[in-house]
Amino acid sequence: MPAPAIELRRLTKIYREGQNERVVFREVDVTIAPGAIVVLLGRSGSGKSTFLNMLAGIDLPTAGAVIVGGTDLARIDEQARTLFRRRHVGFVFQFFNLIPLLTVEENLRLPLELTGQDDHAGRARARRLLERVGLADRQASYPEQLSGGEQQRLAVARALVHEPTLILADEPTGNLDADTAAEVVDLLEGLAREGRKTLVMVTHSREVVGVADRVLTVQHGRLVEG
Amino acid sequence: MLWRVSRRHLARHPWQIGLSVLGVALGVAVALSIDLANGSARRAFALATEAVTGRTTHQIVGGPIGLDETLYRTLRVALGVRDAAPVVAADVAAPAFPGRTFHLFGIDPLVEPAFRPHLTAASAGGGIRSGRDRFALLVELLTRPGTAVISARTARELGLAPGDPLEIRAGGARRRLRLVALVTPDDELSARALASLLVTDVATAQEVLGVPGRLTRIDLIVPEGERGRALLARVAGALPPGAEVVPAAARAEATVRMTRAFSLNLAALSLLALVVGTFLIYNTMTFSVVQRRTLIGTLRALGVTRGEIFTLIATEALAIGVVGTAAGALLGLGLARGLLALVTRTINDLFFVVSVSEVSVTPAAIAKAVALGIGATLIAAVAPALEATGAAPRAVLSRGTLEARARWAAPRLAWIGVAAALAGSLLLLAGGGVGVGFVGLFVLILACALVTPLAVLGLSRLAAPPAGWMFGAVGRMAARGISGALSRTAVAVTALMVAVSATIGVGLMITSFRGAVVRWLEGTLRSDVYVSPPSLIGSRSEAPLDPTLVDRLTRTPGVAGASTSRVSVVPGPQGPVSVVALGLGRGRRPGFPLRGGDPGTVWGAFDRGAVLVSEPFASRHRTRPGDTVRLRTDRGEREFPVAGVFYDYGSSAGVVLMRRETYDRHWDDRAVSGLGLEAGPGVDVGRLVDALRARVGLGHEVVIRSNRALREASLEIFDRTFAITTVLRLLTVVVAFIGVLSALLAQQLERVREIGVLRALGLTPRQVWSMVTMQTGLVGLIAGLLALPVGVLLAFVLIFVINQRSFGWTMPLEVRADVLLQGLLLAVAAGLLAGLYPARRMARASPSEALRDE
Repeated sequence: MPAPAIELRRLTKIYREGQNERVVFREVDVTIAPGAIVVLLGRSGSGKSTFLNMLAGIDLPTAGAVIVGGTDLARIDEQARTLFRRRHVGFVFQFFNLIPLLTVEENLRLPLELTGQDDHAGRARARRLLERVGLADRQASYPEQLSGGEQQRLAVARALVHEPTLILADEPTGNLDADTAAEVVDLLEGLAREGRKTLVMVTHSREVVGVADRVLTVQHGRLVEG
Repeated sequence: MLWRVSRRHLARHPWQIGLSVLGVALGVAVALSIDLANGSARRAFALATEAVTGRTTHQIVGGPIGLDETLYRTLRVALGVRDAAPVVAADVAAPAFPGRTFHLFGIDPLVEPAFRPHLTAASAGGGIRSGRDRFALLVELLTRPGTAVISARTARELGLAPGDPLEIRAGGARRRLRLVALVTPDDELSARALASLLVTDVATAQEVLGVPGRLTRIDLIVPEGERGRALLARVAGALPPGAEVVPAAARAEATVRMTRAFSLNLAALSLLALVVGTFLIYNTMTFSVVQRRTLIGTLRALGVTRGEIFTLIATEALAIGVVGTAAGALLGLGLARGLLALVTRTINDLFFVVSVSEVSVTPAAIAKAVALGIGATLIAAVAPALEATGAAPRAVLSRGTLEARARWAAPRLAWIGVAAALAGSLLLLAGGGVGVGFVGLFVLILACALVTPLAVLGLSRLAAPPAGWMFGAVGRMAARGISGALSRTAVAVTALMVAVSATIGVGLMITSFRGAVVRWLEGTLRSDVYVSPPSLIGSRSEAPLDPTLVDRLTRTPGVAGASTSRVSVVPGPQGPVSVVALGLGRGRRPGFPLRGGDPGTVWGAFDRGAVLVSEPFASRHRTRPGDTVRLRTDRGEREFPVAGVFYDYGSSAGVVLMRRETYDRHWDDRAVSGLGLEAGPGVDVGRLVDALRARVGLGHEVVIRSNRALREASLEIFDRTFAITTVLRLLTVVVAFIGVLSALLAQQLERVREIGVLRALGLTPRQVWSMVTMQTGLVGLIAGLLALPVGVLLAFVLIFVINQRSFGWTMPLEVRADVLLQGLLLAVAAGLLAGLYPARRMARASPSEALRDE
């Protein structure tokens, strides 16, 4: 049996707001296999985004371990977490979050540059991905010149271009119409499966659940299957 | 409810509001402090003049050696002019109190009460109460030889009491006077007016100044109307050829007029700080509108009118303006104390002796500062307030809309800038006074500011490829960030560009001026050793050297030749004129470089009795070679042909230069103000200076300096004169720095989300830091690069328009690489420094916080 892609051990996350404490997760234990597509459901404010942030090493648990690809993110420093994220994680956001100052092509090449892969092979990969997401003719455009669907397709390509092992998508369809949303989910699923990437996707949409290998729901600080 | 929204918004952005308040405060403080310092110096001079003028309406003045005292007797006895008072006056130093000067004022105590009653309100230390007794005592005391009276307050300051000796230095001689009484002024104003007055009897003043039998002037009280005119005619008929009657106010006015251009220059430079501060307020208000775009849009959707939104934004600006102006006024009062010393020193160096001990705060100065501060704030707030109200509900100024508009506006603003540049140039070319010159200069600065956004767009686009090549995506993003946030960066670059170009412009003007002065000194100072009486002011001294001393020094072994100079002030039809008479020895010519006149014939004419006028004199009186200069001589009014115009940076009032022989033919004054000595072949100048000093003897005090030492001393005065300019330049840069800091902070804070994404993508805090710093450094670099040509342009206008119209001096513009480089480095350093805090904040920001909106 291969080593798990993600392993959470007794993970606890508490926010302190003045005198009060808000428990987001209490002693959660979860294991996610490599290449799995996991959908995370839950009410607004239940802690779904916090969960993703902890998987990316952007946020830290109050207690417990977050082991991604064998590395416990809670035990390494900020710099090491950043470098880990840079190399192994791809992010897709609800509001696309492309860099407005860079062109389509430059946005796509940014992760390559950061990971030192902006070589011949990396650029060829970027070109292939651009064709795959249907933006090959928009290379020189700026994000503001793209439609919402195009921006999110570019964001998907950006999340995959440097071949990370883990892709985190935070409500990737939350800002799109139903048809475009389906298109983006298909794209994300297809690319994740082709590359055997682990994909953790937060969503409110029941339609997205259809592509999942596994569904987890955040309920009262716990992760419940299904 | 609206106001609550506004108040809470302001309270949540303390740094933004704080920087804005600081910007206004500094701008107002600089403008107010200069105004107060200028005003205080002028007021001190006016008070001092008033103290010695009193009820005098007219004065009889003479030539270089004043009037014969028999004239006074003639007036009183033969002509029956009862309201006449003799005066012997000069500025003297008090060696025991370094830096302290007194106006020695010799009077006839018996006739004084009609003229200056405040001078006779003296007390000998208590006990005598009635006015009549006090006056009788004063007359008795002052008529004793070697006695003097000063104001009670000055005595207290210097720790002196009646009976104490007071040593003074007049020209090259020291004398000891004894204080016999103290003047107790009735009010504060008289106290200040009398602060630097040293009152003696006429005979004592004559003895101290070494002018027995001579009077500086005779004061008259002439009634108005027919009787007065008849009296004046009678007096005029009795005057000797060298004397004339002038209105009492005229002389003081002429003196103050000399400093007007100097004051105006300082005021203009101080206003620049406020102009730069205005950019800062504009930036803050725009930012606060952009920040609240959703809020304002929602308010509009809820039915808040455009007028109400406008009032809201304008009132916020007004609040910033009021707080900033109040803080600036307080700061300005403090700053004025520091600047007053610098302003006074410059006035003493360049124009006349004035002793100013305190800043006089007038309601008018405060009102002006308040109007400037609040006015600048409101002007700066109009555009953002209009922008906030102009758009439809829900669409108020999205970042993208604002940036698109900024990019759209850039070329259009540039065209307006070109038009403004043309208008400014025409204004400068059209002639007019210094005021018009400054208006033209400010229009040119405005024109350059209007072209700046387009230049920023172009330069930042140019910078992107090399930045990307050198630093990858981080470099590219840094460069693109500037054009991408043009609405913000253009304001920051413009504020910094204006401040740095002013620094470069003024710097180039000063170095060009200094270069011209160095060359001028090299040309004019040809003797090896110079001897002069100790001077109270930096420019040419009128005090005479003792003739026996001149003779003794000239005969010192090792001296191969001597030349003399005499500086005196003589009456002319348009006020007093400074005359320099040169005793050069046969066949020798002065080394003054010529600005006008035929070099082949000038000196021949000069030898035959023609005069040369200095460049400032020529420009002030519109005199050209071939014209004549009218001067009142001891033989009556005479016309002197002008052979040429020479470069002279010694006096902005201008001088008339003539041979000593010419001077002696027209005036009876035989005194010498300065002596130039040549060392014989093989004689060491240092040793000669020592030998000369040894021959001076007791009782004389003269300054003996080698050519080099005099040159160095002259340049020291030059540098001192521009100390205040340097301070003002620095203050302007500080305001600009705050502007850049505020603009960059605003820009970086707007990018919190973008930075969060970058951090999520794997940019390390260090890379974020580098990107932000690189960007702010680039903002500085662009501002610096733009400031170079603008700075040279400003220097050109300062030298060929402002300086020429203010002081009559011209000089070639020297564009020195070190000044340009300094300006460039200053801009980059300001950019980098202003970026440190935002960069640190951004690098430390938690990406999860930044992305929380998801």
